[in-house]
Amino acid sequence: MLRLEGLRAGYGPVTVLQDVSLEVNAGEVVTIVGGNGAGKTTTLRAICGLLRPTGGRITVDGRDTAGLSPPAIVDLGITMVPEGRQLFPFMTVRENLMLGAYKPAARARIDERMEEVLALFPRVRERLSQMAGSLSGGEQQMVAIARGMMANPRLLMFDEPSLGLAPLIVKQVFEIVDRVVASGTTVLIVEQNIVHTLQIATRGYVLENGQVVMSDTGPALLKDPHVKRAYLGV
Amino acid sequence: MRLALSFGGLAALFALPFWLIPAIDPEGSGFWQHIFVTIFVFAAMACAWNILGGFAGQLSLGQTIFYGIGGYAGAMLNQHFGLIPWLGGIAGAAVSVAIAVAIAWPCLRLRGPFFTLSTIAFLEVIRLLAIHFKDFTGGSAGLPVPMFVGTEMRIGWAWMLFRDKENYLIIAFGLLVVCLAASWAVRNSRLGFYLVAVREREDAARAVGVNATAVKLAAFAISAGLTSLVGTFHGIYLNFIDPETMFSLPTAIQVAMFALIGGLGTVTGPIWGTLLVVPIAEAARGWLGAAANGLHGLVYGLVLVAVVLTMPKGLVGSIGPWLKRRLGGAAEADTAARIEAPEAAAPGEERPPVGEPLLEARNLTKRFGGLVATNDVSVTLREGEVLGVIGPNGAGKTTLFNLLSGFLAPSAGGVKVRLPDGSWVSPGSPHGFAAAGVARTFQIVQPFTGLSVRENIMLGAFHGTRSAVEARRIAEEVAATVGLTGLLDAEARSLTVGGAKRLEVARALAMKPRVLLLDEVMAGLNPADVQQAVELIKRVRDSGVSVIAIEHVMAAVMALSDHIVVINSGKLIAEGPPSEIARNPAVIEAYLGEEYAHAAA
Amino acid sequence: MDILLQLIANGVLLGGVFALISIGLTLIFGIVRVVNFAHGELLMVGLYATWIMATQFGLHPYVAALPLAVAFFFLGALMQRAIIQPLMNADPHIQIFATVGVGTALANAALMIFSADLRSVDLPWARQATDLFGLASVSRGNLVAFAVSFVATGALIAFLNRTHLGRAIRAVAQNRYAAPLMGIDVNRIYAITFGIGAGCVGLAAAVLAPLYPAFPTVGSFFVLTAFVVVVLGGMGSLEGAVVGALIIGLVESLAGYYVAPDLKEVVYFVIFLGILIVRPAGLFGVRGNE
Repeated sequence: MLRLEGLRAGYGPVTVLQDVSLEVNAGEVVTIVGGNGAGKTTTLRAICGLLRPTGGRITVDGRDTAGLSPPAIVDLGITMVPEGRQLFPFMTVRENLMLGAYKPAARARIDERMEEVLALFPRVRERLSQMAGSLSGGEQQMVAIARGMMANPRLLMFDEPSLGLAPLIVKQVFEIVDRVVASGTTVLIVEQNIVHTLQIATRGYVLENGQVVMSDTGPALLKDPHVKRAYLGV
Repeated sequence: MRLALSFGGLAALFALPFWLIPAIDPEGSGFWQHIFVTIFVFAAMACAWNILGGFAGQLSLGQTIFYGIGGYAGAMLNQHFGLIPWLGGIAGAAVSVAIAVAIAWPCLRLRGPFFTLSTIAFLEVIRLLAIHFKDFTGGSAGLPVPMFVGTEMRIGWAWMLFRDKENYLIIAFGLLVVCLAASWAVRNSRLGFYLVAVREREDAARAVGVNATAVKLAAFAISAGLTSLVGTFHGIYLNFIDPETMFSLPTAIQVAMFALIGGLGTVTGPIWGTLLVVPIAEAARGWLGAAANGLHGLVYGLVLVAVVLTMPKGLVGSIGPWLKRRLGGAAEADTAARIEAPEAAAPGEERPPVGEPLLEARNLTKRFGGLVATNDVSVTLREGEVLGVIGPNGAGKTTLFNLLSGFLAPSAGGVKVRLPDGSWVSPGSPHGFAAAGVARTFQIVQPFTGLSVRENIMLGAFHGTRSAVEARRIAEEVAATVGLTGLLDAEARSLTVGGAKRLEVARALAMKPRVLLLDEVMAGLNPADVQQAVELIKRVRDSGVSVIAIEHVMAAVMALSDHIVVINSGKLIAEGPPSEIARNPAVIEAYLGEEYAHAAA
Repeated sequence: MDILLQLIANGVLLGGVFALISIGLTLIFGIVRVVNFAHGELLMVGLYATWIMATQFGLHPYVAALPLAVAFFFLGALMQRAIIQPLMNADPHIQIFATVGVGTALANAALMIFSADLRSVDLPWARQATDLFGLASVSRGNLVAFAVSFVATGALIAFLNRTHLGRAIRAVAQNRYAAPLMGIDVNRIYAITFGIGAGCVGLAAAVLAPLYPAFPTVGSFFVLTAFVVVVLGGMGSLEGAVVGALIIGLVESLAGYYVAPDLKEVVYFVIFLGILIVRPAGLFGVRGNE
């Protein structure tokens, strides 16, 4: 479904991604593992169209996405749940969810979709008329994921969903990620907490200095001595 | 070499009118003399404005307040008391500085466009008052500069009035030199570094001990005093002053615009900007005459928009880096690869024992409206220990840090710090805490992005020294400690998160603190980096710095801390050594979760 | 009639005029986060445009309001695309300079084209006084301006809260980074918002043309008042702008009579400075906006 070939990208004079090739097939859960500054978030930003690649290709169903704006990428069925939640703080949870279905295609059946998503996240339903900014960090993360699901995406990308959350909340967030996976949505996830993500991932890529250095199934990577040494500190 | 070049440039600028005018205007109409006086006067004012608008980043559009005060002081003291304008100008500058301080005090609390609006509002108020109190100022009818008082003819050097226009050129140029020299001196002093730091990131500047209000106030006052001196001269040169021309918003905009076109925050930029724009506009006015009423304003407006769109850094700011690149500067390479492991601890070094209390917070409470963010929290940090602070998101940990570093004032309770001489102090501001030896980092990293890594660390080092050379030495030493030596000359904006976190710690360490507050320096780092960070903090501790660390990375907290406090919903729910905290039922319920308890057991 | 009641009536109606001028300014700031220092000059252009349409084509100013608002929508959107858009990520200083430059250029262009003479639209009906419940006497033009400002503000608030586009506009204001991830074209929203803000100015110009003459510096005459109103009400708050406008209208009316006519502006500038210092977010503002 999604394929990256020899992707290069960076910020101004700094090249972050040297050569990134990876693919995500329908129904998979793919994770990108890597150290700080290895280029994980940059990869997601490039896929979303938030960052213009300087080389290589990104294709969705074989179609080159070069030059497409973030809204056009959303149209292709790719949605990102950004790092740090990024809700609209002075709007209600309901309005946040409605904005998740902003594109005309999603807006057409917004009420049905709202029911489907709320069925998946019952705790969000209790908060519908509350201001998003008044929720706790964990609840905000839930709303952010629900908002991403509102677009009925074919591919949902998570950028560090557990960052800055307390351990107890991290556990709840992962339960929700599991629920999204179970609902059949294709997932690409970037996460520091690699033990959990590699357990649920069908495949994983290891990114170092902007290059893919290794790829395998999730559980296999978890057992790999290099991964263990570099990312688990054991 | 650079100095010689600068002096050469100045001499050439001074010689320019004397050489140029006889050549292009042999009849001596005075038109070109007037243009050069105008250029020198506006360049001087633009230099003065740039100290506030460029270095300090405070875009004032009310600087003609001081130009007007200078003008009125010179004329009124002359008229009423027969004071020569040289003294009148100094008196006016003194008044301007006093008024600048009075105005700046409230205005400087505002940011961005709001500061600008408030300066415009003050300018309007003062102009309206000048019109209203006509007994003193002559009102909107204006005030002529007296040439004769009785039979005494007030002309010549003492009175700044001449028949020979060349003398005006000399004085105007003298004022330009004074303003330029002041600007150069500010830029190269600690004040200059502090101004840039405050402009870039006020919070981070305050954390390294900069009294942000005081340095901005200083810039405001210096700028006002210089502007006032220019105003005195220009009022006399124009022979007539009235509120519309002296307290004029368009003039204030022009002055700021010259500095912008030349290059905001560069020393010579304001001169280049004035040299470029004034002749174009004045020449257009001279050639087309009254038929083109408004033409020079139109030119100013269009040039301003064009410059802003094509080279927002101005002539000097855009051409300078271009020259540097042409002369062979290396491109930025990958910064992540150049981070090194921090220096290893010297083998065999013994950890100093934990000593007496060094920082004590008693019954701290902080309310925001109805929300109690911190509720009756007391913590004690002992000398040489690492105190861990944990708790769920939104529990009030960062609020606690802001209270412990003076960024927030507590609603109740207090914080005291023990000084090396054994006495206790309770500072009330970030720079007060910095002076007491407390340094901090920010959860969301706050590098001064426009500065190099070296300059960033120097800003911390300036806390202990006024000397730039000494600050540079300290910066290099600290960079080696945290593993940033290879990146000293890189721009801070090019750092990765991991690098920026190290820089955050380095800047705090350069202050040579006795207490270091670390706010989630490990968030976002991978396990291998966390390991390095733990080693670094241990080394810092062993060098005699006491540490309070907020962390979510449990393995690190448990490994590092001598003592842990747990915060939940603003309240302290538990404290004790790590082993106890891990077993505490309240902590497990609120924060760690059952899974952690099983794993730890 | 009681002089105090008359002064209050004058003040409230003047407040309506100020509100009409201020809503566009506050909308643009609230969403695009740019303080448009050329706002007054847009009004000046609108007053001249109304004058030309009235004197050259005999168009009634109130009839001209709609086409003028539409034309100004496109003018505003164009200004955003050409000048503000390239500077969206620049330092706030640079944005201030850009709009100051536009304002300076427009005011001086008007001086070149129309000279400094006053150009008035002749509409005696609007200047005629009408009796207000026997309590005060006010001009009909002022009543129209007052009514238009309330209807326009109400319509804008409803638009922002009830429509998908309105919700997207608010989303952009609250989180510039997340909005594109929802599929919202942020740059288009900025252009639309700038257009709506400018459209409000076009509407205001047509409604005010019978009451105020056009001259090159009329913009700075109004814009400083508009800034005071907007800061008082809270930058970005439409409701706040209306309340702020009423307060400033009353202050101007009462201070002009009880203090001194030439110091009435000093009085509200002092209020302005006081508000900036004591409560920089304004009466209805959200903290953090300053």
